[in-house]
Amino acid sequence: MAERTLHGTGATPRSGVGTVVWYGRDISLPDPDGVEVDSETEVQRFADAVDTARAELESEREATAERVGEDEAAVFDAHIQFLEDPTIEDAVETMIADGIPAPNAVDAAFGEHIEQFEEMDGRMAERADDLRDVRDRLLRLLTDGERVNLDDLPDGSIVLAERLTPSDTAQLDPERVAGFATVTGGRTSHAAIFARSLALPAVVGVGDALESVEGETEVVVDGDSGEVLVSPDDTERAAAASDSGAAVVDESVETTDGRHVEVAANVGQPAELEAAAQRGADGVGLYRTEFLFLDRETPPSEDEQYEAIREALDTFPDGRVVVRTLDIGGDKRIPYLDLPEEENPFLGERGIRRSLDPDSDLFATQLRALLRAAADGDGTLAIMFPLVATVEELDAALDALDAAAADIEGRDADAVDLEVGVMIETPSAAFMADELAARVDFLSIGTNDLTQYVMAADRENERVDDLHDPTHPGVLRAIHRTVTAAHAEDAWVGMCGEMAGDPDLTELLVGLGLDELSMSAVTIPEVKTAVSETEYSAASERGDRARLAATRSEVHTSLDT
Amino acid sequence: MTAERTVSIVPEAGLHARPASAFVQAVNDHESEVSAGRPDGDLVQAASMIAVTSLGVGQGDDIKLVADGPDAEAVLDELERILTTPEDELDTDDG
Repeated sequence: MAERTLHGTGATPRSGVGTVVWYGRDISLPDPDGVEVDSETEVQRFADAVDTARAELESEREATAERVGEDEAAVFDAHIQFLEDPTIEDAVETMIADGIPAPNAVDAAFGEHIEQFEEMDGRMAERADDLRDVRDRLLRLLTDGERVNLDDLPDGSIVLAERLTPSDTAQLDPERVAGFATVTGGRTSHAAIFARSLALPAVVGVGDALESVEGETEVVVDGDSGEVLVSPDDTERAAAASDSGAAVVDESVETTDGRHVEVAANVGQPAELEAAAQRGADGVGLYRTEFLFLDRETPPSEDEQYEAIREALDTFPDGRVVVRTLDIGGDKRIPYLDLPEEENPFLGERGIRRSLDPDSDLFATQLRALLRAAADGDGTLAIMFPLVATVEELDAALDALDAAAADIEGRDADAVDLEVGVMIETPSAAFMADELAARVDFLSIGTNDLTQYVMAADRENERVDDLHDPTHPGVLRAIHRTVTAAHAEDAWVGMCGEMAGDPDLTELLVGLGLDELSMSAVTIPEVKTAVSETEYSAASERGDRARLAATRSEVHTSLDT
Repeated sequence: MTAERTVSIVPEAGLHARPASAFVQAVNDHESEVSAGRPDGDLVQAASMIAVTSLGVGQGDDIKLVADGPDAEAVLDELERILTTPEDELDTDDG
């Protein structure tokens, strides 16, 4: 038995064993009552820490300005100003004079303002994150904490952290990491989705108990059970070490009776492309472009977007890469785009609604970048519009695409290897699938949102968890309707929600007629194996029984027999 | 020398992010002591990013500036320039 077992939410059905490396705030403050404070020394230590922090920030600013751009580097200017803020300096020096050690004084001085900003809304709350960054930098310097380099970890590291942001995971070297666990976060947090894409064992949302796990300890991270085992015994260690998941299938797969089903990966950032290829993905069925817009102060340029899409197309030279145009709003917020506060953001201005207006300029830039990448890249590009509800929206988006093509000088837009499609997420799109399919090459069903909207059940609300299940017959009928309508118009149909990645549902989905399944990379081998074990004619009958069922339990019975 | 003026904020972001950075930087580049606040409220140290950001002044709001020192007029001129320049035209290297 392990010394201790901690419980969280499993992010990937995989286990890993390794040695703990704490990332982030691995700082322990001195006991303020236990130390004699020499105020002169402490003030000097504080001043030295500020100087070093400033030097670090300036060099990071330079590096960012060079690598990314002047606008993105501006965030470091704000950090330097918070660092040198006279309000903080006065408060720290006063506290030191009262006999409080420098690290505790820094923690308290920043803490007060962090709280103050957190209580304000919108842009102000983001300043709390800036202050936290500056505080942690000073505390690390004052307590001689070592900052862990995520791109230079020892082999077999298990990373423990409060949380992992997109900029953290972008640095993580998946070759060296055996898994990770975080204090905060749920199944749909960035860290969890990232883990699934890289097939990394991960447990999120462990809570404060995780903080008690010391660095250098051996742990097992079991993403299946959602457990973190501290100091595992030999059996537990061996079980975790031997869990490498199903064997990777590199070839494309077909059912036993010869129906080809494409199995592709959902990708949220460039680091996930290689992992997807290694797990045997035929291509990319959902490339989320939002990551390009995160962690910066201005939108990415056309060239940056072009490069990112080129990289994806070149990773799958013989495959297809379905790129979803910018889908913000709902739960996806980007500070500098100044999204409105909405009563019901999931029913508000998101996806294509924003791209047509007010983000039409961003949309045009993105479409130009995509068209250029399609012309130059190896693989086939497919452009997909998110959250379409009406034919008018699709027509407007197609007009914008034509305009972008006309904008690209000296290129023959017709010669570009390109497919265009619509993501089916709204009930309206499912009802209008015939009209939509007549205008495009493919439809792709986003089951997370489609389920949420068909069942009127918030995907984040645990109290309606039972309704947020794509195996309700209402959702299956929406899927069936979409597939039938698309095939009648010679369009192919894919699925890119969580449902597509569940190997227990593969036979049902093949039976319902899906031509492509796209998922987080982790379950690609299992789903490929499931496809090649499916007999299409039998699956098709099973699919009919499931969609004609009156209740979810009848659906499940039809799947089991 | 003491100088005072009230300026209406033009940048879309209000006194946040880049305009706030440029504002605090300009205060620090001058010798005068500067305080700032809403016309009817308390004044805070303009050299403090935290204090300035906490004012929460947005586009279209008025902000009162008081400078005391040898370059009082000069610093207010520079601050007024920053506060009345749309964000995308703001050249942070100047001043």
